[in-house]
Amino acid sequence: MRWLDALIQGVLLGGLYAQYALGMALMFGVMRLVNLTHGDLVVLLALIGVSLAVSWGLGPLALVFVLVPIAVAIGYVLQRAILNNVVSQDPLPSIIATFGLSIALQNAMMQVWSADTRSIPGFGIEQASWQIGPIYVGVLPVIVLVVATLLTAAIDALLRFSRFGRAIRASAADVEAAALTGVNPKAVYAWATAIAVGILGFAGLFQGLRSTVAPFDGPAQLIYAFEAVIIGGMGSIWGAFVGSMVLGITQAIGFRINPGFGILAGHLVFLAVLAIRPQGIFGRS
Amino acid sequence: MSLSMNSNIELPTARVQTQTASGMVAMMVGIGLLVALVSMPWWAHQGTIRSVVELCCYIAIAQMWNLMAGYGGLVSVGQQAFMGVAAYAMFALAQNHGIDPFVAVGLCLLVPALLAVPTYALLHRLDGPYFAIGTWVVAEVFRLIVTNMPYLNGGAGMSLRVMTQYSAHERAIGITILCAILLLVTVGGSYWLLRSRYGLALTAMRDNPVAAASQGVNVKKLRFLIFIAGAVGTGLVGAIYFMTQLRITPESAFSSNWAMIAIFIVMIGGIGKIEGVIIGALIYFFAERIFGPYGSTYLVVLGLLTLVIAIYARGGVWGLLSKVVNIPLFPTRRTLVSRDEK
Repeated sequence: MRWLDALIQGVLLGGLYAQYALGMALMFGVMRLVNLTHGDLVVLLALIGVSLAVSWGLGPLALVFVLVPIAVAIGYVLQRAILNNVVSQDPLPSIIATFGLSIALQNAMMQVWSADTRSIPGFGIEQASWQIGPIYVGVLPVIVLVVATLLTAAIDALLRFSRFGRAIRASAADVEAAALTGVNPKAVYAWATAIAVGILGFAGLFQGLRSTVAPFDGPAQLIYAFEAVIIGGMGSIWGAFVGSMVLGITQAIGFRINPGFGILAGHLVFLAVLAIRPQGIFGRS
Repeated sequence: MSLSMNSNIELPTARVQTQTASGMVAMMVGIGLLVALVSMPWWAHQGTIRSVVELCCYIAIAQMWNLMAGYGGLVSVGQQAFMGVAAYAMFALAQNHGIDPFVAVGLCLLVPALLAVPTYALLHRLDGPYFAIGTWVVAEVFRLIVTNMPYLNGGAGMSLRVMTQYSAHERAIGITILCAILLLVTVGGSYWLLRSRYGLALTAMRDNPVAAASQGVNVKKLRFLIFIAGAVGTGLVGAIYFMTQLRITPESAFSSNWAMIAIFIVMIGGIGKIEGVIIGALIYFFAERIFGPYGSTYLVVLGLLTLVIAIYARGGVWGLLSKVVNIPLFPTRRTLVSRDEK
């Protein structure tokens, strides 16, 4: 029963990681770009959520409608102002640019919100749970998992069936050929990043509701997103979702074995995947 | 070869020149500075020595990052992994096994060398930008393992109490000699490497790995060797730095601050150039002393500056200077000089 509980909690934790990983998989799939501020943006959005909840008394549902548009705007501006300048075959400029931005962002958040850990008040939803036999299942983690699944399905459908999705896939396959057929890659990139960061609006809200956030927490979230993407298979949307589940379950089981081992267990599974199946579960070799 | 076909054409007599007047002067100054460094215990304050040791560590860690990112195309944000394991190995050898700390500094380098092999074997499978985050995960793995190891006193860290067998003066002598060796190995070694025939291969690889491979450069092997060299050089920085600190914790040893320092120095000074590293390290060293008290504001500016350089001024300060004057301090360029011109 102890291990079944770990498995369930792991899947629920995976729901949160899927929200981090989805945007990263999308951005890498489209631009072969990694945004090192990915985790810092989760923290930033969560902290904005904390301030809005405290000063305007917004509840979780209202926060969704405020945070997600803010996140979309941040993503769009980030791509237009910065990332479009560093998209290239050479990974160096994008890594360095976003690494610098990450440090700036962390320290700026530190000045605005101080180093305290904070969380978004959920008006009781964060404590509610269902009892199924001897196992307690939190209401909030289930909502997180459902939202993550819906978001993954929505992005997948968007890529498959919409006109915009076709433009994204064309740009990912061959950006010059796509440009020749009338796709504007810079605009496609900007909207892809806007969607990727927009998803972090949900992630930030749920991170803030489920646990706590502090200005320097971002790198850990970045690493979890990255591990989920690699475990699942680079650039695959459902791969990122499955990779998040694997990571969440591994961490939950690791924590049951020894509290000092949870995070490490996740890292070790990531390294094992690299050793055994470097293209990831869903990747094509 | 079809040389015989052209044998009636007289080739102009020429030779390849790789040294310049400015390079000779810089080398003399460099040797002078190394001598001054080693003689410091007899004329400088303890505080000055500490600062200079710190500067040497900045130069060395940045040059190792420069070698990897600037020439090998291996962009890492996790070199603190090797700093930490080497420093911890040194502490364990000296504190747990009674080996002389100065001997341990040399022995401990085996650990980053050995760990770099499987690390590279796993991480080289990751595509460009993902390689960078992969190195970070490895640093986190090492940090978490050390935190859970009672042998290394876990999260509480260790103190290098065995250093008390030496007087402050003896320690200063030992550490300044180690720093001189550190600079000779990292900066001098890179300089020598770039001027050797491997330097041509490295430069070709930096400019275009695919074209270099088609010219017979074994890019895969070269990258592997650079990764190992980078790990060992960075490890030596770790061992020396934490020997002066006399204390180590997993948080300080595996701090991503070191990645930030190396990246900032190389980017602001000028990537792919040894001169860039020296200039960048001096700028960082003084900036930290002047603006460090501003704390997080200073780091916001530093981060934004790195961002701006990555987008708009890829050559850094040395790149901008080189456009105005051509006085290479560490010349690695090969110039063909006609005999007649001499």
